[in-house]
Amino acid sequence: MFLECRDLGYRYPQSPEFVFQDISLQLDTPGFHALFGPSGVGKTSFAKLLTGDINGYTGEILKKENAIFLYTYNQERLPGWSSIGRHLDKITPPGMADLCQELVEIFGMEPFMNQKFSQLSLGQQNRINLIRYLLQDFDLLVMDESLANVDERSKENIIFKIKERFPDKYFLYISHNLMEVSKFSNAILVLLKAGKQPQTSLIKGLNIHRNDVINSHELDTVLLGIMNAC
Amino acid sequence: MKKNTTQLLFILFISCAVFSVSLFTVSPCQGEETLNYRLKWLFNASVTGDILAEDQNLFAGEGLDVKVKAGGPERDAIRELEMGYATFGVASADQVIRARAKGAPVVVIAQLFQVNPLQWISKTNKPAINTVEDLRGRTVGITYGGNDETIMKTLLARAGIKENELTLASVRYDYTPFYMDKIEVWPVYKNAQGIIIGEKLRKEGEDIRFFNPGDHGVQFVANSVVTSEKMLKNNPDTVARFKKALLKGWHMAMDPANQDMALAVLEKYNKDTPRALQEKQLAATRDLVWPDRTKDIGRIDVKAWQQTEQMMLEQGLIKSTVKIEAALIIPSKDNSN
Amino acid sequence: MLVRRISQFFIVYGAGIGFLLALKSILGLSDYVIPGFMEIWNTGLAVANDYLYDVLNTLGVAMIGQILSIIMAFSIGTAARKSSWLGSFIKAAAYNIQAYPIVAVAPIIFILLGDGFASRLIIAAMICYFPLLLSVVSIMSEPITDIEHFYLATGRMRWQLEIKIRAFENIRKLTTVISGSATLAMAGTIVAEFIAANAGIGHAIRIALYQSDLSRILAALFLIGIFLSLYQGTLEWLGEKIIKKWVILDPEEIP
Repeated sequence: MFLECRDLGYRYPQSPEFVFQDISLQLDTPGFHALFGPSGVGKTSFAKLLTGDINGYTGEILKKENAIFLYTYNQERLPGWSSIGRHLDKITPPGMADLCQELVEIFGMEPFMNQKFSQLSLGQQNRINLIRYLLQDFDLLVMDESLANVDERSKENIIFKIKERFPDKYFLYISHNLMEVSKFSNAILVLLKAGKQPQTSLIKGLNIHRNDVINSHELDTVLLGIMNAC
Repeated sequence: MKKNTTQLLFILFISCAVFSVSLFTVSPCQGEETLNYRLKWLFNASVTGDILAEDQNLFAGEGLDVKVKAGGPERDAIRELEMGYATFGVASADQVIRARAKGAPVVVIAQLFQVNPLQWISKTNKPAINTVEDLRGRTVGITYGGNDETIMKTLLARAGIKENELTLASVRYDYTPFYMDKIEVWPVYKNAQGIIIGEKLRKEGEDIRFFNPGDHGVQFVANSVVTSEKMLKNNPDTVARFKKALLKGWHMAMDPANQDMALAVLEKYNKDTPRALQEKQLAATRDLVWPDRTKDIGRIDVKAWQQTEQMMLEQGLIKSTVKIEAALIIPSKDNSN
Repeated sequence: MLVRRISQFFIVYGAGIGFLLALKSILGLSDYVIPGFMEIWNTGLAVANDYLYDVLNTLGVAMIGQILSIIMAFSIGTAARKSSWLGSFIKAAAYNIQAYPIVAVAPIIFILLGDGFASRLIIAAMICYFPLLLSVVSIMSEPITDIEHFYLATGRMRWQLEIKIRAFENIRKLTTVISGSATLAMAGTIVAEFIAANAGIGHAIRIALYQSDLSRILAALFLIGIFLSLYQGTLEWLGEKIIKKWVILDPEEIP
């Protein structure tokens, strides 16, 4: 068992209403998974509970011993006093320099290594932030809108690369893009508003890899499944 | 748009100017209007006659509504006369001379202190200062910019003592350096701080003695009553009545027979000083204001004024003579020398 | 920026003198109350050398006092950021002490330490210390979550890095408060000298006041204004340089 949630519930401090309640799930298969749902339903809170960024929940969260869970989100910033290249050099663990170089090239960030974070576009900022997390030691990485503002082609390239390069890792991708989560994700956890029963649904995604051909009928099935769940 | 802004600025400027003029234009004497009498310093024994005159309704007895206002380090009676905030004031001779040198239309109607209260104290357990020569090698306190600086430098110059033959130290309203013997000779007002410091030291088994520049030929006139030339010219009767009431107040205050009354008034206006000290201060003030009981209180010592002017000229405090005697208003029957 | 600051000062000073002279003319005041232009000019020339030395003396004390207060404020402010109890205590204490006029405490300092350099320095430092401390405490105790999150999540956060991040993100605020404290330091030193010191331009102003010499006071104000403008302008220029170098792209890093 890698991750199991039992009757997980959470409410904001000093709020009488639960954001979500009685969520139970198991995650045992590494890969690219998604967390989907309307805005304000608690996706980020749920993810942060898993990574330990917030506490104060009801229920249980059981993780594999010593598993490292990291959470990254699209508004993170790098310190502005040095170039992003210099920053990456400082935070790249020993032995990961090649991976760093590889990711920089694949993510299309090579031409910008001498620039400072504030000089990048939003998409570029998200990309460089994701790179530095991918270089760290982790077992599960929550990517909360981490590819927002990135064009579709680059996004596809990046996700394929992540799948290829990190086959043994778990990724939990939070996105509002229905097509994206349907195509790329293995398991899609659909989170609904409080009060709905059940509040979660688990849909199987297409989990396509590079050079896979998308079956439009299968895609429609996934899309429909998600829409029905919502 | 630019034209509108310019017009607006112009209107604003004119409004400010009119407002300023209305603010500062105050007629010194209009009917039953209150006449402000600005003292030189806070209420203490040095102003007993002034506050007694108010307290005993002596001004009212002359048909005048006079408000006696305390002075202070930031107050300048001569400036207030010119600005119209006061009708009468108290200023020292150096202030009057300096003002006259700069064209201020101020005149002197009475000289309150016949002996300058500004003297220097030293401890009796230190070598005595009987002559100016005894100041050589001593550390002497002066208030830079004050009239004690002028007096001391005149004393030294006339005795042929160079400033590097002693140490002149800057002093302020903190007597700790004197108590700790860091500054041996300290300027005080004999009838005010002089009494307080003396009492304090006596409690510790020490005592003080006074060094009076007047005893060594330096006559520097102290507090005098002033008014504006305009006031004197346009309202001579008011000036005369004011002076009469004021000097009556001083007579009453300085008369030993009225000691209890004078002390009661002093206590009323100055609640901070204990009565026992005020009694001694009053006695000391009497010796300074009315040293010669055969002569009138308030008489103007023209020679002393002229000497004061000369000292200021020698010290470079005024560029040229102001003929101060022209500003001294002496009634023809007055016997002042 | 420096030139603009000084020209602004000239305009304000000139307007002030103009207003005084207009008032003199309108009300027919003597030179004793408001001196004429030639007297102001001649007096200014006569005291220029002495007052220049005095102003530089005061400015020197103010600068050293400000530097001391910056060091103290940063040390205590950064130390206080971690402990919510200590941080709250320091904030409350700083607010309360700041409300108390330091210049009222000045006579006590002069009694204890005499009227020399040390007293003036302490007063200058105290005057600008508390606003600086409050700014530093406020800046250093406010996390920059968007930047710090990575380091916290990956176990890389160190206190030096945390301070660097928070200082960097608030560099404009810090440079502004430091420039502003220059005026405080100078004003505080002058007032302290006025009360009880034996040197500096405040002492000179006190003497001029005893002698009711407005010309000297105006000359002193002129020199104070010029040098304060220079000092503040220099601090602002330095602040901009630091921001340009540190925050904006370093030209050497452009490929």
